[in-house]
Amino acid sequence: MPAFMASATVSAHLSDLPNYVQGSGHHNDPPNETQRSGASDDPSHGIHPSDLPDDPPKDAWRSDPDDDPPDNPLAIVLVDAKTPAALEIQAIIDVLKEQVASERTVFVKRRMEENTQKLFDVTKNLFKLSAERNPKINGTDQAVDLLAKRQKDAIDMQNGISTSSGDSDGNSPQEDGYASSAILLGSSIAVKNAVRPIKLPEVKRLPPYTTWIFLDRNQRMTEDQSVVGRRRIYYDQNGGEALICSDSEEDAIEEEDEKKEFTESEDYILRMTVKQFGFSDVILDLLAQCFSRKPDEIKARHEDLVKEGNDMGFTSNVNVDGSISSYLDKNLDAALDSFDNLFCRRCLVFDCRLHGCSQDLIFPAEKPPPSCCPDAEKDPCGANCYRLVLKLESDASIRSPGQGTSEEHLFPPSDASAQMPRRKNLGLSVKMRTKSSQSDGTSSNAKNICESSDSEIRPPIEVADAQPSSSPPKNKLVKRGGTQKRNSKRIAEHMLVSMRKRQKKMLASDSDPLESGTLGFKDLSLQSNSRKENGDESSSSLKLKSPNARRPRRISPALDNCKPLQIETSGCPPNLVMDNQPVIRKDDTSRKNDLLALGLYQHEVNDDKSWKPIEKALYEKGLEIFGRNSCLIARNLMNGLKTCSEVFLYMNSYDNKLISQSGDGANALIDGYYKVDGKETMGNGVRRRSKFLRRRGRVRRLKYTWKSAGYHSIRKRISERKDQPCRQYNPCGCQSPCGKECPCLVNGTCCEKYCGCPKSCKNRFRGCHCAKSQCRSRQCPCFAADRECDPDVCRNCWISLPCSCGDGTLGVPSQRGDNYECRNMKLLLKQQQRVLLGRSDVSGWGAFLKNNVAKHEYLGEYTGELISHREADKRGKIYDRENSSFLFNLNDQFVLDAFRKGDKLKFANHSPDPNCYAKVIMVAGDHRVGIFAKERISAGEELFYDYRYEPDRAPAWAKKPETSDFKKEDGGPSSGRAKKHT
Amino acid sequence: MAKIALGCEPVVGSLTSSKKKEYRVTNRLQEGKRPLYAVAFNFIDSRYFNVFATVGGNRVTVYQCLEGGVIAVLQSYIDEDKDESFYTVSWACNIDGAPLLVAGGINGIIRVIDAGNEKIHKSFVGHGDSINEIRTQPLKPSLVVSASKDESVRLWNVHTGICILIFAGAGGHRNEVLSVDFHPSDIYRIASCGMDNTVKIWSMKEFWTYVEKSFTWTDLPSKFPTKYVQFPVFIASVHSNYVDCNRWLGDFILSKSVDNEIVLWEPKMKEHSPGEGSADVLQKYPVPECDIWFIKFSCDFHYKAAVIGNREGKIFVWDLQSSPPVLIARLSHVQSKSPIRQTAVSFDGSTILSCCEDGTIWRWDAVANS
Repeated sequence: MPAFMASATVSAHLSDLPNYVQGSGHHNDPPNETQRSGASDDPSHGIHPSDLPDDPPKDAWRSDPDDDPPDNPLAIVLVDAKTPAALEIQAIIDVLKEQVASERTVFVKRRMEENTQKLFDVTKNLFKLSAERNPKINGTDQAVDLLAKRQKDAIDMQNGISTSSGDSDGNSPQEDGYASSAILLGSSIAVKNAVRPIKLPEVKRLPPYTTWIFLDRNQRMTEDQSVVGRRRIYYDQNGGEALICSDSEEDAIEEEDEKKEFTESEDYILRMTVKQFGFSDVILDLLAQCFSRKPDEIKARHEDLVKEGNDMGFTSNVNVDGSISSYLDKNLDAALDSFDNLFCRRCLVFDCRLHGCSQDLIFPAEKPPPSCCPDAEKDPCGANCYRLVLKLESDASIRSPGQGTSEEHLFPPSDASAQMPRRKNLGLSVKMRTKSSQSDGTSSNAKNICESSDSEIRPPIEVADAQPSSSPPKNKLVKRGGTQKRNSKRIAEHMLVSMRKRQKKMLASDSDPLESGTLGFKDLSLQSNSRKENGDESSSSLKLKSPNARRPRRISPALDNCKPLQIETSGCPPNLVMDNQPVIRKDDTSRKNDLLALGLYQHEVNDDKSWKPIEKALYEKGLEIFGRNSCLIARNLMNGLKTCSEVFLYMNSYDNKLISQSGDGANALIDGYYKVDGKETMGNGVRRRSKFLRRRGRVRRLKYTWKSAGYHSIRKRISERKDQPCRQYNPCGCQSPCGKECPCLVNGTCCEKYCGCPKSCKNRFRGCHCAKSQCRSRQCPCFAADRECDPDVCRNCWISLPCSCGDGTLGVPSQRGDNYECRNMKLLLKQQQRVLLGRSDVSGWGAFLKNNVAKHEYLGEYTGELISHREADKRGKIYDRENSSFLFNLNDQFVLDAFRKGDKLKFANHSPDPNCYAKVIMVAGDHRVGIFAKERISAGEELFYDYRYEPDRAPAWAKKPETSDFKKEDGGPSSGRAKKHT
Repeated sequence: MAKIALGCEPVVGSLTSSKKKEYRVTNRLQEGKRPLYAVAFNFIDSRYFNVFATVGGNRVTVYQCLEGGVIAVLQSYIDEDKDESFYTVSWACNIDGAPLLVAGGINGIIRVIDAGNEKIHKSFVGHGDSINEIRTQPLKPSLVVSASKDESVRLWNVHTGICILIFAGAGGHRNEVLSVDFHPSDIYRIASCGMDNTVKIWSMKEFWTYVEKSFTWTDLPSKFPTKYVQFPVFIASVHSNYVDCNRWLGDFILSKSVDNEIVLWEPKMKEHSPGEGSADVLQKYPVPECDIWFIKFSCDFHYKAAVIGNREGKIFVWDLQSSPPVLIARLSHVQSKSPIRQTAVSFDGSTILSCCEDGTIWRWDAVANS
């Protein structure tokens, strides 16, 4: 037996022990004594060979071989092999332990002293306060303080009595009147008869309740609220006996949780021991014994410590840097991490209590086009709007005519037609600007579309209006043409202006004005103008330009960046440029090592530097959301980071970069970019956020069990078994129409609007097409399926909002008619009745109605905590003891518990002949419990509904004839496991 | 309870009495047949330092300690509801400094008695179940806090009769709250404990405007915008059974469960994550035969000693300022056999009162050591 052998060896070596220990003491003096000051002062901290044989842990080690962990024979063998070392180590550990303990005592003592000192000041202050309370009352209160009077009486009396009858036995004769009302008591007078008691008038007490929090919507239980795995002690109110309730399964859970962190002193002992003896299995074992932990735990900790120690050396600098870093240094993915984890995409709130954080991210297969409000376009968004900057720059560029002309000369003749108008245009713009004050009239005409009369935006329009070719009638025509034309006009203007500007830049960056790239670039863009506008050549430059600007929509459907809206949103030379990409690429061979490209690159590099990764990422997001609208992007996403003009510049240089890169054979890259971009816009479901990131940055992770079980489809359920509980819906992430493997389908739920799958998915619930007011009958597919109508899904279901938002145009579907609202959206809209809480006529609390309601009227929602069935079973046990339960079966996964969180309807009592009924309804993907009037209920009536206890689970007072039970069941699947005080 | 890690062991006091001080019984009186659950000296107003109150059954009684062991009855109040059983009493005063008695019990109604005028001042209805403890804010004695079986702790302004705050909800207690105490110097802070085995520290700092508002509120008290404080700043699982008494000792907390000991621990909060942290158990004060719940200890004005009775009518006086803990005295009397529910220590610690299950009050006076 190895164990026995081990013990024998241990004792054999024991006689040698002092030498060993002493030896080790010599070797290892420095670490032990220098690391912790004071250790050498105290003799008990040194190693005393004479003490060692008496050390209790080692004694046990020596004399009780059977105590050795029998499941660890290997360790014992190891110990066996190096027994002297083991003993030595043990001794050291013991000494260290002792040292830690004595340090702890010192620490506690010090803390106590500090606290005592603090308390001294505190009580001094309190005493001062208590002494100050006297004069206040004497000064202000004229009325007699009876307490003080009684006090004085008693003292007087005692003085009188104590002369006659001594101290402890002095009892006083009961005196009447107020002269002396205090009674002195010796040892045996019953108080009851001593003083005339003052009556405290009775106050009616409230029916008992547990403090609860109002919820206007259901919440999911958080982990820490679980009673599963927790011990609960009950006591019998009468007997006063406590009863600890826990089952074995729960205890097991409790033990699992008991994984503790290493304390400082444990670390210390570990470090010191390892320092002295190195790291070996023996040490691991002994330490494990000492800390009562598992050896592998210690090993892991040791590794951590070593790592920490190494880190200490060089991380200090890094830390300094790290502390400066703000969120700006993160990339967007990291920054968005908390968004992904905390933002509920179903409720559109952060920290959603119903769906929890760390939801699975579902990216819809179909994405809406970039949003924009067209009207916002005409105003510069602020002092740094790109429009203003452009204006300035174009001014500047025109004031350097030399440049302009030199360029002109270089244009091939074929471009002249396109080129000329531009030049005119620019020239005019200058003129116009000087005239702008006079042309106010024209511009104000245009105001109906171009809203505010901001002089900054006027010039482009005026310029267009003032084209030589555009005669006054034409001008009118333009106005009639409406926003689009106007916009495009302006866009065209911008395009040219910015192109101009870019040219200027190029020229500036490159000393050679003859640079072919510049030419090619310019040519191409202009060529494309002319190419597209062949037919319109003769018409005004205005006309020529406006279709041009819109062109991209037609010719490049693949470039999704250029959404229709976007043309209105920004002046976009890049569009042009992109259109011409193929052409440019053709030419690009010649541009390979262009100085121009270099210049562009330099420009780009500068931009890159000033743009932090997060800003770039934000910009990309903005592009996705708002299209190429620097105003909106800057205002909504880059507020305080970048101005509109900076965004605009970046936007352009970004494109330039792409183009110039293409020259270097990076076409694929561009293609890739656009493909990705297109996908993003198309929503073909490229998840850009890596899973890894999400996991690492997780703020809080709440675990939910997503049970999925193969059940019938939801439709079958409706027509078939009524007692079958509904299925909990979880959105699926399918990116294509759902197939058999779709989790929704597997789980037996419909796909909802929150699913990733496209709208064409066969498993989607399609809502209803009911005509007005028909959604309250079984004719309505929504109603029949125990669902509320959803304005996002149903065709005719909406409500007309009162004109509360701005001009009132928002939210009113103009063609759908007025003053109609779907009546199957009451839970969604929270159109509940006023419920009052009061003393029930039956028992305890009751819920009452404030107003009359008609039959089938929606009264309110029964809200509560969503808990699992398992949790409900545990809680139910507790509630049953208190004979009060607020549990309500919701679906196959969840039970509602309104015990601590809920609303007033939880107080509605049970009745076998109720005036209300409860129904589980699917509202926007969530099951909710609505309470409805079963009959007409008049104001002030108490509400009752049938709790629908499962026949075998009903408490005695809720039992009723079986037959009626079945009858009641057909209202829906809402077999309540409900509640309440008897 | 979790095993204590190496290097965090508490210093446990020895039950050998140091005989630092000696006490002897100087008076004993039978108030009635019903158990007495609470006794409290008035520490609010220095004029009344020798006045104390007891509660038991439907009765609140005011006494005075006189020299030579004499106890004088000053006032007696009886709730007309015979079923009322008061569990707790505390001294308070209105903003003018007039003495008030605040008592509560099984009915869940807080009775505020104007001891200066010998009549009921106000009755607070609101708690959903019995009230287990009421304590007064020593810095602002118009504020009282009550712990209830309805799982909430509530802050009241006795001057205006307003329920200012309710400490309950998402992070609240999950069973009866048995005890509550104001921090002696941090006016925002309270600690509560109860049958869910936890001690919770709450801060009302963010809600302090409501506390101030309660003093100037002139409308009906029921219209006051009472706020819920749902999340404590700290939750300690120091005990593994009912925690029936907790008191601040400076920044430390003394608490007891049914494990025959009072535990002194320091809450170590984590700066940026409220609700988390650890409790560092510093010292333990053994109290033999103290394994039933609802036995409360008390301290003198200066927190020099903690006094606790046990199931068998014995009293243990522990020095609160020494380390390791020193048992100042162990008091026993042949006739004192009934469980002592609550004790009270006079301002200077020279007098100890105990109130017992059998309805008796015992007075112990320190014997001058010669």
